[in-house]
Amino acid sequence: MLEIQSIRKTFNPGTVNEVRALQGVDLVIEEGSFVIVLGMNGSGKSTLLNAVAGSFFVDAGQIRVAGKNVTKWPEHRRAKLIGRVFQNPFSGTAPSMSIAENFALATHRGRPRGLGWALSRGLMDPLRDRIAGLKMGLENRLDNAIGSLSGGQRQALTLLMASWLKPDLLLLDEHTAALDPKSAEQVIALTNEVITRDKLTTLMVTHSMPQAVSLGDRIIMMHGGKILHDLQGPEKKRLRPEDLIERFNAIRAREQLDESAADMLRKNYI
Amino acid sequence: MTLLLGALTIGLILSLLAMGVFISFRIFEIPDITTDGSITLGASIAAILLVNGVNPFLATAAGAVGGALAGAVTGIIHTKFKINALLAGILVMTALYSVNLHVMGRSNVPLMQAKTLSSQAEDLSEAWVGGDTLSIFGWPVASTDAALLLMAFTAAAVTGFALYLFFRTHIGTAMRATGDNSQMVRALGANVEGYIILGLALSNGLVALSGALLAQYQGFADAQMGIGMIVWGLASVIIGEALTGARSLGLTIMGAIMGSILFRLLVAIALRWGLNPNDLKLITALFVFAALVLPGLIGKLKRRFQPAQPHA
Repeated sequence: MLEIQSIRKTFNPGTVNEVRALQGVDLVIEEGSFVIVLGMNGSGKSTLLNAVAGSFFVDAGQIRVAGKNVTKWPEHRRAKLIGRVFQNPFSGTAPSMSIAENFALATHRGRPRGLGWALSRGLMDPLRDRIAGLKMGLENRLDNAIGSLSGGQRQALTLLMASWLKPDLLLLDEHTAALDPKSAEQVIALTNEVITRDKLTTLMVTHSMPQAVSLGDRIIMMHGGKILHDLQGPEKKRLRPEDLIERFNAIRAREQLDESAADMLRKNYI
Repeated sequence: MTLLLGALTIGLILSLLAMGVFISFRIFEIPDITTDGSITLGASIAAILLVNGVNPFLATAAGAVGGALAGAVTGIIHTKFKINALLAGILVMTALYSVNLHVMGRSNVPLMQAKTLSSQAEDLSEAWVGGDTLSIFGWPVASTDAALLLMAFTAAAVTGFALYLFFRTHIGTAMRATGDNSQMVRALGANVEGYIILGLALSNGLVALSGALLAQYQGFADAQMGIGMIVWGLASVIIGEALTGARSLGLTIMGAIMGSILFRLLVAIALRWGLNPNDLKLITALFVFAALVLPGLIGKLKRRFQPAQPHA
């Protein structure tokens, strides 16, 4: 369960580069809920994810994950509760280390790491089984450096790593955006499978309308650092990609209107 | 033969330095110049304790601990105070120069009369062999030289193996991943800053251990002995990578040891052929420069002179 209370974040405050990325976001995600976050570039959707993950501290507000107030926790401490997959396939894995070693790290996410043997038999057997489940033929390449794999394979492995220890919250940040369509499809299928099987509480950012419509049980549309629409239940189920595009166009239209209206006001009254 | 044995022994002793530099330079990609100070720190702590009659093993260990502390300081300055790693190293190295003088009380501590690991090895060899010389493949060899070589070999082998084992543990694996992809390590709940501090402490601990052994081998500790040692370590690591070629962990550590020995042998031969010892650091620096630049340059030339491949 994720509870966000009126969080705010301004980057480079007081400078010409000031960006008000989050302007009072409230959001409660129930346990086991799969939420899609949509929004145009600069709407604050990735910032929202990073705020939850702890990439930076918010200026105001509170973030609670699984009932724990994590607002002041550093990123690595929050990782005990949160599993993540990044947009860049290079971000989620250590390229020069083997597949098995990467998983050895993932099996201790947020746990104390001692001087035990990293690649123990207790890891290797279940690892081979679960990687065989990907049907990518990687189960015989566990000693290969992960950097030698394709982006799609790496994202699939990162997803498996993030969910190896069942996280209280799974954050997916456009994790298929950098992949070719076929790999993206595979990774999305795997995503859906993992989330449904383990009933993971998930927050997923995407640009893809078809993904947004077919996945998850709730859609949040962000704009200007705020949540603009919150679609769930039957409304979400009925949603078609065209409906979403329509809503985006409405946002765009209103912005243009605002601008021209402001212009008119300026001309006539100043 | 004495020359060869001497070069091998120093090469093995300095292989500990090479392993330390391997950690800072190859795992964390930090050219950690603390090395220059911590090798002297290890030597001076060990030397002053030995002169005061402390057990040689304890004195050597104390030297290594001193180096580890220095490395930890560099790590803390770099991670907690957000100072560039190179500058953090420079600060600690500079500070260590004064620290070393204070530790020794003067700029040079001779160990001629003290009981050291080296003198113990020599005593042992005389007791076992029962003579001044023994024959290795038909060559007469001073038994004391052989004993020192054996001591250095044991130190390098034990340390190298321990390091290999350490890097296969959970902590060691996380440490290697920190240099590879710190974002991922953070997302998996490991404290990146902590690992950098621990890694630099480990690195400089090994470097100081090397310094402590070197002081006992050469019979003195000197405030100037650390100058340019980081470059020496880099040269060893680079030669080692060329020798083993492979990226696997065990081979890289073996490579650092072999690189250190080979480099020392090359230096000994060059000096024998009449190289001016004053030019040694210049040539070492040029060598490292060439080793860093050449691979990229050769690749570029190859691409330029290769006929353009038709697209399939």
